[in-house]
Amino acid sequence: MSTSVQSVVSQPYKYGFVTDVESDVIPRGLSEDIIRLISQKKNEPEFMLEFRLKAYRQWLKMAEPTWPNVNYEPINYQDIIYYSAPKQSEKLKSLDEVDPEILATFEKLGLPLSEQKRLSNVAVDAVFDSVSIGTTFKEELAEHGIIFCSISEAVQEHPELIQKYLGSVVPSADNYFTALNAAVFSDGSFVYIPENTQCPMDLSTYFRINNGDSGQFERTLVVADKGSSVTYLEGCTAPMYDSNQLHAAVVELVALDDAKINYSTVQNWFAGDKDGKGGIYNFVTKRGLCSGKNSKISWTQVETGSAITWKYPSCVLVGDNSVGEFYSVALTNNMQQADTGTKMIHVGKNTRSTIISKGISAGNSKNSYRGLVKVNPKAENARNYSQCDSMLIGDTSNANTYPYIQVQNNTGQVEHEASTSKIGEDQLFYFAQRGISPEDAISMLISGFCRDVFNKLPMEFAAEADKLLALKLENSVG
Amino acid sequence: MSATSTAVVQRDRYLADLLNQATLAAEGSSLSLASLRATARALVQERTFPSNRDEEWRFTDLSSMLAVPFQAAPTMDGATLAQATDLLQTLTLGEASGRVVFVNGTYAQDLSTLPPAVQVLSQTGTLPDELGQIQGGNEVFTALNTAGFTDAAIVRIGKNSVLEQPLQLIYLTMGHQLLVQPRCLVIAESGSAATLVEEFHGVGASFTNSVSEIWVHDNAEITHLRLQQESTEAVHIGKTAISQARDSRYRNTTLNFGASISRHNIEVYQTGTQTETTLNGLTAIGDKQLADTHSLVALNHPHGVANQLQKNIMDDRSHGVFNGKVYVPQQAQLTNASQLNRNLLLSPKSRVDTKPELDIVADDVKCAHGATVSQLAPDELFYLQSRGINRDQAQRLLIYAFAMEMIEPLSVASLRERMTQYIQQWTV
Repeated sequence: MSTSVQSVVSQPYKYGFVTDVESDVIPRGLSEDIIRLISQKKNEPEFMLEFRLKAYRQWLKMAEPTWPNVNYEPINYQDIIYYSAPKQSEKLKSLDEVDPEILATFEKLGLPLSEQKRLSNVAVDAVFDSVSIGTTFKEELAEHGIIFCSISEAVQEHPELIQKYLGSVVPSADNYFTALNAAVFSDGSFVYIPENTQCPMDLSTYFRINNGDSGQFERTLVVADKGSSVTYLEGCTAPMYDSNQLHAAVVELVALDDAKINYSTVQNWFAGDKDGKGGIYNFVTKRGLCSGKNSKISWTQVETGSAITWKYPSCVLVGDNSVGEFYSVALTNNMQQADTGTKMIHVGKNTRSTIISKGISAGNSKNSYRGLVKVNPKAENARNYSQCDSMLIGDTSNANTYPYIQVQNNTGQVEHEASTSKIGEDQLFYFAQRGISPEDAISMLISGFCRDVFNKLPMEFAAEADKLLALKLENSVG
Repeated sequence: MSATSTAVVQRDRYLADLLNQATLAAEGSSLSLASLRATARALVQERTFPSNRDEEWRFTDLSSMLAVPFQAAPTMDGATLAQATDLLQTLTLGEASGRVVFVNGTYAQDLSTLPPAVQVLSQTGTLPDELGQIQGGNEVFTALNTAGFTDAAIVRIGKNSVLEQPLQLIYLTMGHQLLVQPRCLVIAESGSAATLVEEFHGVGASFTNSVSEIWVHDNAEITHLRLQQESTEAVHIGKTAISQARDSRYRNTTLNFGASISRHNIEVYQTGTQTETTLNGLTAIGDKQLADTHSLVALNHPHGVANQLQKNIMDDRSHGVFNGKVYVPQQAQLTNASQLNRNLLLSPKSRVDTKPELDIVADDVKCAHGATVSQLAPDELFYLQSRGINRDQAQRLLIYAFAMEMIEPLSVASLRERMTQYIQQWTV
């Protein structure tokens, strides 16, 4: 029976096609000259070049971290192309001028960008290799004073906001990959929600790596001013190559007084084939700063792709009464490795955090939860509840939990619990009795296991996550 | 030279000095363990003295030790003997069959009454094959002990023999700036059963680095009580390594009250199926004490059961550390493992760092772990206050109850009584 469970979760990757477009590619490798070239190509102001060079010099002094519970061949940083963009002669006035090949790509991924097809009420910023292709609903959002554009555009048009917030949550020298990202980041999304504004629609970025030799280094910055709220979604896919590609992104969220940010990710980068060949190295730093009173940041993630995932979406709860949440489903299969979790740093008074993490490991994969809950000496009445459940499918996959709990204030209350389980024969038998095939039964059991997290996803994304898991589960019971 | 590399050189030199003192002590003893010692010495030479940069020592800062040049202990003089005699009077276990006393790592014949199951290495001279053979001997402090211990208690419980009376082993560390390395080897042959009480006490600011190896063979049962009540100026680093064969049962209760810095590494290695392992621990500390418990349960065979409950109470500016690892590899199907760590922070300056770890490959298992940190529950205090118990008394009552969960099940009545009294005084 366990072989049927095994085959049910092993599905081909549907987004593995390559789009044939002419690219503007810079030479391989990394040096100060390359960074100057990137900055020049993007026509950046002086402060950005300084920001990049400073980060690069720090990166040179740092060592790649070895503590995550993942194994991979050393990365040759001089063999990566740090900038790749679809060729375009001049600045586009509207999305209709975008290369139809690229529009077709996003269409194929289920994201119609062209004006007439935009039916759903979601504004999308589409990032193809290193650059933003287009942002939808820009004008509608501008009416509310909301800025939603690519980060390169923001550098040109809103330099004061960029200078104030870029690197304020994740400093360049935070870790090896953030320094690398700060030095070479090519594009990403920027969101600013003004005071007392509820963003009228969900905002979304879709990342697509197309070039086989390029890395993707994007940067997302979301600032929610006092009393505002926003829901932000992020999706990722990549073609199938048999070489590994590096994705080192940085996401920074800032929530001022009474602001709320919901940030959801469905990550489905190419995971490599069943022998572990190819796939994306997803080394991402995501951090939210609840700087204001009563602010709230909520991370929801569904991680199904990437050969290696190494990410810890975190909340720094500085404002009094601020709230941090982390809901995660991580599914690993074949040779995939995931070391993921969260950090909740309680700094302000009466801060609260919740962590719900569901790990599913199948095949020969490795799935680790690594989390930190830290209560600083002055964080009176901090409260944390953490729950990490693992589900093992087959006896060759690996589920680990490494929760770090550090409490320096006695008024804090911290609880952590973890469990492991598997899909039992008796459960499948129960379903079979009622005429439900093992395939559907497993799908339902996994869906039920993940329900706490899926419930937190916005409507559109919940549907996508369900589809994604269903995809991993379709037509395979022999 | 950068500040970090200077620190590394300083730690290396410090470890070399410790090793020299250990070697000096070893040369002074009559034991002949040349090859065992040489291997251990080589191991220590390869290592550096741990710092906060090592994951295993991240929260336990040993840098204050670097200022203290610990020396090999001299032979016991009359004053120490008198002091030790006084101390021992408070440690009597009525039920025990004799007692084995080591003072500063050396067997104190005048203070001991050897039960038949216990021998002392310096007297028998024959080296048991099992000595130094349990996994985990590569760890720097364990190797340091092997390189320099001056004597060892050898407890051998014969096949199918059941000892009704507990065996009491007392290790005293008396004096200042001494490096003291007690050693113990327990072999419970198949079908045997015994209760072992190990106690660590002392006066003065010395460094005790102990190692106990326990072999629990097929169907044997060992109940092990370990009490650490060293002087509050002392440093205590202890290793308890257990090898558990098929159908064996091992129950441990570790009580940590003393020392300014203490670390207990308890490691259980399963070598057969259907073992039962129970690890209970209570740490109660105050002032600026630091107490660190690192446990490892490595299950390698099916049908193992492991239960762990570690309770820590931190008062004043004290700092508790817990790290519990449970390994369940592919072959350990049908394992049932649970681990719970509960921490009580009594004062605003107290602190705890805990990390319960699970590492699981086998899929047909039941594994769970949990950790909690809090102060006394306000509603519990209110409940007691509403019944006319003043706040102060109510607090004491709740702390007492929290601790007694670990003390009450102690199987040796006189030790249970002594510990109950200790907790009552501690909560005042």
